[in-house]
Amino acid sequence: MGAIFSIGLNTFREAIRSKVFYSMALFAILIVITGHFLADISLHQEKRVLLDIGTGLISFFALMLSIFTGTSIIYKEIEKKTIYLILSKPVERWKFIAGKTAGLLATIFTVVGIMLIFFLLELYLMRISPGTNILKATILILSEVIVVVAITIFFSSFTSPFITGMLTIGMVAIGRLLPDLKHIIQMKYEPDFIRSSVESLLQIFPQLYLFIPNGHDFNGVHVSITSDFVNWSFTFWSTAYALTYSGIFLFLASIILSKRDLT
Amino acid sequence: MTDKPNPLVIENIEKSFQTGFLNLKKVKAVKGISLTIKRGEIFGLLGPNGAGKTTTLKMVTGLIFPDKGKISIFGKSSSKATARSEVGFLPENPWFYDYLTAREFLSMAGGIFSIPSDTVKKRSEELLEKLGIAHAADIPMRKYSKGMLQRAGLAQALINNPELIILDEPLSGLDPIGRRELREIILDLRKEGKTVVFSSHILADVEDICDSVAIIAKGKLRETGKLSELLLKGQSYFEIFATGVHNTISELCKSVDETVVVEKTISGTRIQVSTSEISNNILKKLVMENIEIKKFDSHKKSLEDLFMESSSNKSDEEK
Ligand SMILES: Nc1ncnc2c1ncn2[C@@H]1O[C@H](COP(=O)(O)OP(=O)(O)O)[C@@H](O)[C@H]1O
Ligand SMILES: [Mg+2]
Repeated sequence: MGAIFSIGLNTFREAIRSKVFYSMALFAILIVITGHFLADISLHQEKRVLLDIGTGLISFFALMLSIFTGTSIIYKEIEKKTIYLILSKPVERWKFIAGKTAGLLATIFTVVGIMLIFFLLELYLMRISPGTNILKATILILSEVIVVVAITIFFSSFTSPFITGMLTIGMVAIGRLLPDLKHIIQMKYEPDFIRSSVESLLQIFPQLYLFIPNGHDFNGVHVSITSDFVNWSFTFWSTAYALTYSGIFLFLASIILSKRDLT
Repeated sequence: MTDKPNPLVIENIEKSFQTGFLNLKKVKAVKGISLTIKRGEIFGLLGPNGAGKTTTLKMVTGLIFPDKGKISIFGKSSSKATARSEVGFLPENPWFYDYLTAREFLSMAGGIFSIPSDTVKKRSEELLEKLGIAHAADIPMRKYSKGMLQRAGLAQALINNPELIILDEPLSGLDPIGRRELREIILDLRKEGKTVVFSSHILADVEDICDSVAIIAKGKLRETGKLSELLLKGQSYFEIFATGVHNTISELCKSVDETVVVEKTISGTRIQVSTSEISNNILKKLVMENIEIKKFDSHKKSLEDLFMESSSNKSDEEK
């Protein structure tokens, strides 16, 4: 545990002090404030729109942040050769992956935390009480972050940041649009076996629509934080799914890195 | 002590890299190197740029995997992470995290070795002091000069008080004072009973402080052994010039050793001997017989000759 914690702590320290982080945090705050104006100019009921837009923006920004920071985290270590200083010590490579992932997640969670604080402040000022829905939404947002970070770390264990970025964006886009894709497949008049095989293929992709505050539940039924939001059992199972899915990807990343020459 | 396994035993390791377009080209960086490094010695890995020193040391420290061969560290296979628990490694041109301070990096390094944090703190202070970077211990390492990075690199390599210290080109990038300090540190480590392996492409670095050396060039081991023996091995012959009755001298020499070459020259007799022992015996006899010795010469190859010869040896390179 010592090694994972040490690597994680320093990944966090390194990330949180970078200029990138400050601009991210600043941008995050701006985004949340923008939500307020978006809600203001909309014609709908203010409360509904602000909750929707606010959580939507936090979710989207957390997603972008995961892709952006995740794609380079392992590559940078190899490119700058800082990894030599770590892996020449008695530490297994899976622990390195675990530590980097933990540190990165801690960093992104911090940014999400900052956004959330500003958002809650905003809600408070407007006398909107979000109830427990905001907590569920946050858990789902963080679950999605875990999944996406795991995917980026998996790809970056064997390919360049650019390709990692492209592949991750592809996976994320499909993952978020899965209910629509399934819908399209069902409508098309295809032979059954093609449809069923495409459907099972889609299962491989991360079911990211589960984690969107304004998304879908397991059955593809639309949910919204302002009206019929998901229940705790859904939140629990989605999180469990996220942990399992990311666990598999991180496991694969560890195996790949363990076999790799660090040249 | 003596029955403990050697700090480092390398058996016939090979490594090639795929390079070029679509990784189609294969570069053989290390072509079967074997070395045994004994406890308490300073071992110099000498070779020109591109010889395969870094590749060898990376295999030893588990960063890359040999295609063939075996490496054991204190008897444990280098493929196991635990083999490195008594190892400290300074990579070539170490580079650190931009925003971490040296003190933070040392604390992480200690954490990776699972050393208790107060021990790490204490040892960090000592090392930062000893390596002359205590004043910069709390500034981000991106602001360090090359020499300071090298020192920080050495500090992190010593954080676990390792028995085996592996340094890849530790003297490069240091100014003359830094070089002398580093040499002192390496010598101190030997005094503490540690084993030090370091690589260099500069002969003088190795000649000064090493007990044993290996000369590698183009991925192959050219020479290895105790520095003193290597220097001796390089002495091709001794020459004695004497004046006196040629036949007497000749008989005298042959009585010491049959293989001695004795020639008559214009000014006297030239005797050529291959070892210092024989030449000593002959010299003694000549003196006892009151034969005048005009000149004594040892034609000795320096390590430099050996180094130059080895590294430019093209005959067995491409086959
Ligand atoms: N990652 C790599 N890919 C391709 N070739 C490499 C790689 N690393 C080293 N080499 C080649 O292997 C040889 C030995 O390199 P190296 O071990 O770095 O030498 P040294 O440290 O003695 O200067 C060189 O010819 C170098 O070009
Ligand atoms: Mg080198």
